[in-house]
Amino acid sequence: MIERDAFSADAHRYLDGEPFRELEGGEFATADRLVAEAREYAERLPALDPALDEVVMAAVRRRTPARRRGGLAWHMAPRTVRIRPVWVGVLAAAAALVLWVAPRAPVPAAPTGAALRPVADTVYVRFELSAPKARTVSVAGSFNGWQVGALAMARDSSGLWSATAALPVGEHRYEFVVDGTRWVPDPTAHAQVDDGFGGRNSVIVVGPKGLVRS
Amino acid sequence: MTTIRTLLVTSLMLAAPAAAAAQDAGIEARLEARGLPAGLAHDVAAIAADASARGVPDQPLANKAIEGWAKRVPAPRILSAVRQFASQMSSARDAVRAAGIASPSGTVIAAAAEAMRSGMRAEQVRSVVRAAAAAEIAAPGLSVAAALAAQGLGGDQAVKIVVSAMRNHQSMADLLDLPSIARAMHDQGLSPGDIEHRILDGGDGGDRDGRRTGDHGDRPPLVPPVSRHDHAPGHLNFTR
Amino acid sequence: MINGLSGVHPSDGDVVRQVLAGDVEVYRILVERYRSEFGRYAIASVGDRDAAQDAMQEALIRAFDALATCREPDRFGAWFFRILTNQCRNAVARRRDTVPVEDLDPPGSERTDQDLERGELGAALEAALARLTPEQREAFVMKHVDGRSYEEMAELLGVGVDALKMRVHRARDAMRAMMGALR
Repeated sequence: MIERDAFSADAHRYLDGEPFRELEGGEFATADRLVAEAREYAERLPALDPALDEVVMAAVRRRTPARRRGGLAWHMAPRTVRIRPVWVGVLAAAAALVLWVAPRAPVPAAPTGAALRPVADTVYVRFELSAPKARTVSVAGSFNGWQVGALAMARDSSGLWSATAALPVGEHRYEFVVDGTRWVPDPTAHAQVDDGFGGRNSVIVVGPKGLVRS
Repeated sequence: MTTIRTLLVTSLMLAAPAAAAAQDAGIEARLEARGLPAGLAHDVAAIAADASARGVPDQPLANKAIEGWAKRVPAPRILSAVRQFASQMSSARDAVRAAGIASPSGTVIAAAAEAMRSGMRAEQVRSVVRAAAAAEIAAPGLSVAAALAAQGLGGDQAVKIVVSAMRNHQSMADLLDLPSIARAMHDQGLSPGDIEHRILDGGDGGDRDGRRTGDHGDRPPLVPPVSRHDHAPGHLNFTR
Repeated sequence: MINGLSGVHPSDGDVVRQVLAGDVEVYRILVERYRSEFGRYAIASVGDRDAAQDAMQEALIRAFDALATCREPDRFGAWFFRILTNQCRNAVARRRDTVPVEDLDPPGSERTDQDLERGELGAALEAALARLTPEQREAFVMKHVDGRSYEEMAELLGVGVDALKMRVHRARDAMRAMMGALR
């Protein structure tokens, strides 16, 4: 079997996030795998030691202060740099940077519109999943911004996990997340639909009377 | 589910292209706040701004990117999916406009796109939209039809049920109940044909004459594992 | 209390001008900012945290020494990035001199799918990175480890987008060939 040892032009376009014509299944998988491994690698990279800052400052203090030459710098009009808003946004919260190198921690759900709507438009929905071997199970979906830790479920003695959430009426897409990494559909949902990434989402349509389950 | 804010944003988008750049920055910042790397956030925001300029809602695209990132989908795949979704929403917008809504809201476009993604055809989308008495009911109508179809009722049957419910001036509440009712009947062992007949013969899922009043104003209903619809005897009896 | 600087997040240009005006202590703002922003890039390019730490330290001190030659203080980041990249390349060269390439974990040679635990994958990628040319490694890290867009990379490296794409494409092909485990 001849092994291709370079990515096709289309595979590179795909990896560059550009439109591409055609990619056969094996190439897709190889490309995705490379990207996934790089991401894993990135997430496991440690941070540089912040103690480095003081070492630098100590060295800097010992030096002759850097001086502006001839005052020319004052007259340099700052050039508009497209990249700056990105940097400022990224650096705005130092805590966020720690997340680059630490495993992604669950983020508490931000207040959603549901909290502000009149009660008649919000309904309690109960989610259930039988998973006796799981260590943690949560629900992540369109109603909580797909945050893995936002709706944690509780386990009973038989291994049935459950959680009840107040949801606005209408259609919601979601999946269960088992042990933080395994995305699992809800067999009791109204429908399973393609999520656009090659997986499935469970769909429920919630009326003001809640869900009917038999 | 897209909110009023999306509707406002979308209409502003159409009215003021210059605002697109500002909105683009908003999406990029939101994506970065959710952990997407700067490059990916930038690229998604660009697709969203482009879509916005073409009259397609951008928040669903941002949400799709957030979903992909949460599911640890590789960045190129996320971009591919976002692009595809934008294209689907474009087709959906055309279908909705062909059905008579000249400036469809982001909500109905997104609902139509999701319905088409799950298999509904453009002409089925048009049927549902045309039957909707008001624009606000089109989106839930589409979601319900898509859910019924995905449950195995078949696209044409699902559309028939939804159109019938709309023509009978059923409320949004009754419409939204249909997938639950169909599911409960299915779990009881009824075939799709039977389910369709029961629902259509009952008119709307059965609440018209046997309607309970005053149940829901006091407290939000908590749904226990057993059925809690107690219709008139002999009508849609699906208790355990 | 920082004199002369406005807001919670003063711009690079403001800080540079303040330092050049004599307020050395505010240089710490840039030190923290870029130790954070480029730290991961340094570790991934050099392949060793301690050596990357040294490279970053050296780069920050040299940047201070040369601050008056920074012609566009508002673009301090890109200017600093070049200094950092040089230090990282020096660090890699020094490591090569002390650790023979043959002793680095051979990537992908005898691995099977069953061997691929998480740690193994990370090690394979790291070893493969070490074998790229400096330009390819830096480009791959910026694109796929830092997740930067080509436009950003062009700003930081002062190289055109087309040339960067070629570097990244070559890096990917080399990574694919070396990481036999991908098949």
